Amino acid sequence: MRKVAVVGGGATRCGKREATWRELAQEAGKAMFDSVMNLSPNDVEALLVGAAQPERFTFQVHVAPLVAECLGIKPTKVIAKTELMCASGQAALRYAWACVASGLCDVAVAFGVEKMYMQNMAEAQTNMTCVLDREWDGVNAMSAPPFFAMTAQRHMHEFETTEEQMALVSVKNHHYSTMNPIAQFQKEVSIEKVLQSFMIAPPLKLFDCSGITDGAAGVVLVPAEDASKYTDTPMLIAGSGQANIGNAVNNLASISEWIPLKLAVREALRTAKISLADIDIAELHDCFTISELMEYEAFGWCDRGKGGKFIEEGEPYIGGTVAVNPRGGLLGCGHPLGATAILQSLDIMKQFQGDVPSGRLVKDAEVAVAHNLSGAANVHSLMVYRRG
Amino acid sequence: MKDDIEKIAQPEKITLPQMLDFYPLEDEKNTRISQFFQNLKMGHLTTTKCKSCRSVLWPPRVVCSNCMSDDLEWVNLGTEGELYAFTEMKAGAPLGFEKDLPFCIGLVKIGGLLLSSRIDGVRYEDLKIGQKVQLKVVELENDGRVFYRFKV
Ligand SMILES: [Zn+2]
Repeated sequence: MRKVAVVGGGATRCGKREATWRELAQEAGKAMFDSVMNLSPNDVEALLVGAAQPERFTFQVHVAPLVAECLGIKPTKVIAKTELMCASGQAALRYAWACVASGLCDVAVAFGVEKMYMQNMAEAQTNMTCVLDREWDGVNAMSAPPFFAMTAQRHMHEFETTEEQMALVSVKNHHYSTMNPIAQFQKEVSIEKVLQSFMIAPPLKLFDCSGITDGAAGVVLVPAEDASKYTDTPMLIAGSGQANIGNAVNNLASISEWIPLKLAVREALRTAKISLADIDIAELHDCFTISELMEYEAFGWCDRGKGGKFIEEGEPYIGGTVAVNPRGGLLGCGHPLGATAILQSLDIMKQFQGDVPSGRLVKDAEVAVAHNLSGAANVHSLMVYRRG
Repeated sequence: MKDDIEKIAQPEKITLPQMLDFYPLEDEKNTRISQFFQNLKMGHLTTTKCKSCRSVLWPPRVVCSNCMSDDLEWVNLGTEGELYAFTEMKAGAPLGFEKDLPFCIGLVKIGGLLLSSRIDGVRYEDLKIGQKVQLKVVELENDGRVFYRFKV
């Protein structure tokens, strides 16, 4: 396997955008090509487009050639859409990485696009209810908010986790997103504001939940040995891990502990040849506040059930045990499903380059991990990045 | 120029057969687990059990996911479950369920399985973890398809 580097990328502003799916793709594509020297669309041999539900959100399938056409890319090796719901962008990244690492191609683009705002938002909500097993879980209106609400309830029941501790995740990530100009949410929130926000599905309130978001992003991957042709400050892909157990709610390994994440972490650390203590930045999938608490535990930064205490003690802030979501997370930046993992990798690259505002800069960071969960937290996908 | 623009009609609403229908198709023409729904019509919540490795499988299957045997039998899960977790949908229900808001959803332990289910006739404040819940069958008015729920 060849070493692979990310040599640049670009993204749109995220949020409720007055733009179509393909316009978002064009914006991100221009930003991506503008950021990489000595690269033209003609050089791109592989294009992987992470998109969770374009067929439902914009009634368009076969979207990878649509992106290719819009960006003047004529792939000669690999082209496909990748779907893994909330981790669709990471699926694109993983396949682009595998294409370059294997020697199948020398220039691959991992792209991600999601347009989630619809004329009829009830239709958007409906789309999100076929993510779990539609016939046996979705039929009970089991979408992400009620599933993660029950996850939070079990965590509170088993470990005495509190709504205040969950709110702290929202406070932290909204704080960092105020320093991220492309983030959907640009305002600080207080614990009180989170606790008093509109109840979605108890115990989860509006600010416990990531938003509905339009956005797109793309990054360029090449063999590490070629990286200097395109940039002076590349980012290396150091390792990865991915694990899945079950799909329907009945077949999960556990509700209150994310066992596939523990497996994926072990694999990511092994392939990157690092230990947990080496991780300076962790971009974790905070689709809901409870998610981030359970991720601290599954990674092993704290014991099972102690995620709430971990944030109470300030450990996931910059300067603590590990800087978690200094980008602003999904809670602060929004969650344009297919684009999220690409946005994470882009921001980690900017961290390594020192190209983020000082208030959210993790100084001298060398190693970062990016995580996405999908479905009923039954799939966990990880990439490990290293300063090049 | 404007006189040349021809107005064309588009229906106010387009019917989308099955597209956004959450309920499974249950007759023999559409599924090989039609027996599940026939049993449910009789008031029995059942699932498939592998005759070869004895695994109880949920959702019902035609091939055992544990040993790949296709020799399965129907087993009754009983009518009383225990509430493992619950919440209440306050907003954001999918199309077709909006009129039911607010409504409770739970994870119910029954017959060694963990089923997601609507929990009918109760508010969030009145539920607690570990509470007993009873099987309830609902039938769609328009075509007679059935599905399971639980009630307090
Ligand atoms: Zn079997």
